[in-house]
Amino acid sequence: MAYLWDFAPVLARSDLLIEGLKNTIEIALISIVLGVVVGLVLALLKLSSRRAFSYPATAFVEFYRNTPPIVHFFWFFYALPVVTSINLDPFVAAVLALSTQSGAFYAEVFRGGIVSIERGQWEGAKALGMSRSQLMRRVILPQALTRMFPPFVERSFELTKTTALASTLAYADLMYQAMLVNSETFRPLEVYTTIAVMYLLLLVSASALARLAEARMTAYRT
Amino acid sequence: MTYHFDFGLVLQSFPVLFRGLLVTIQLWVPSIAGGLVVGLSLALCRLSKTPVLRVPSLVYIEIFRDTPVLIQLIWFFYAFPIIIGVQLSPFVAALLGLGLNTSAYAAEIFRGGIESIARGQWEGAKALGMRPAAVLRRIILPQVFKRMLPAFTNRAIEVAKMSSLASVLSVHELMYQGRLLNSTYYRPLEILTTVAFIYFVLIYPGSYLSARLERRLAGKD
Repeated sequence: MAYLWDFAPVLARSDLLIEGLKNTIEIALISIVLGVVVGLVLALLKLSSRRAFSYPATAFVEFYRNTPPIVHFFWFFYALPVVTSINLDPFVAAVLALSTQSGAFYAEVFRGGIVSIERGQWEGAKALGMSRSQLMRRVILPQALTRMFPPFVERSFELTKTTALASTLAYADLMYQAMLVNSETFRPLEVYTTIAVMYLLLLVSASALARLAEARMTAYRT
Repeated sequence: MTYHFDFGLVLQSFPVLFRGLLVTIQLWVPSIAGGLVVGLSLALCRLSKTPVLRVPSLVYIEIFRDTPVLIQLIWFFYAFPIIIGVQLSPFVAALLGLGLNTSAYAAEIFRGGIESIARGQWEGAKALGMRPAAVLRRIILPQVFKRMLPAFTNRAIEVAKMSSLASVLSVHELMYQGRLLNSTYYRPLEILTTVAFIYFVLIYPGSYLSARLERRLAGKD
């Protein structure tokens, strides 16, 4: 095949793609923050010894972990307005879908980190006369946080990749902008390859940052 | 709330959704099977000492793991045909995207598994006069499969969820049928909730099994 690659038309519309990249980063960051909040609440509910708290939280987490994200996006955008009679714009619907979905996964990350701390640590802290909140704050959480970090980063990367689904609700993220540029330039090969590289660079640089942060967090071990 | 939930419509749309479910399974099973086969060869290349094998497989794995699946599917449908000069059907493009994506993740699972087997086993098998291929087949892989079964099950769950993205290429799978019904009846609450429920029923047994397996394997060590 003698296909001539021509990136010039794509470069001419690079302003659209840059804007899309900004929107992708924006929606990812907002959803990570909200997802962490949702995840913390769910993790605490799941760890509760009262079934009235732990069962609904488990059901919520299991539901979100076992259904595809695109269904959540469509559900929040099309079905929720029917129940609540509030119309959501694509951005809000996408943020809701992303943060509840990743919240379910973050909950498992937080819970896993907390329960991974050995029994002896809990008992030792109790024997020293610490209250439950002191024990959590001074003994368990500092250790659990460094253990949670790698799976937390992994989940956040998954979330960032899932933001591409917001394009199906016509939110102007990188994916959606690429579709626009494609319909203007008729250069699908160049457009979609370009944005694939943009996502790749975004995630690879984020992962380098994450490794740096992890090295600092675990520096006390060496 | 005084919304009237129309159960009749749910029942009525079941045959259409069921047809979608069959297509979902047709996407799901071959993607996993193909992904495992390609993934194993990728993992062996990735572990190879020869840079000619190691570097390309590393690049391949990272490209598929660090870009959204949606882009991969769209790329295989709209961009890839330009390179090969043959138009792919949406189904084939989706299968290619899902299968290759799975292969990249499966490769990392295989690699983790192979690396977790103690070096002494390789040396012992070699000392018994086995060729590397025989060591891999008879000693290493059976242990890798057992140890990594939860990870493979989790991957299978992810693939089932990812297959819903094929609806964007208008492959007539479950999510597509749901979107179609939604635009016909304007009953998003009933239809989309039913679609979510069907996915849950399809996927939950796998994730339950993987959680139990994980606990059992953790207990053994």
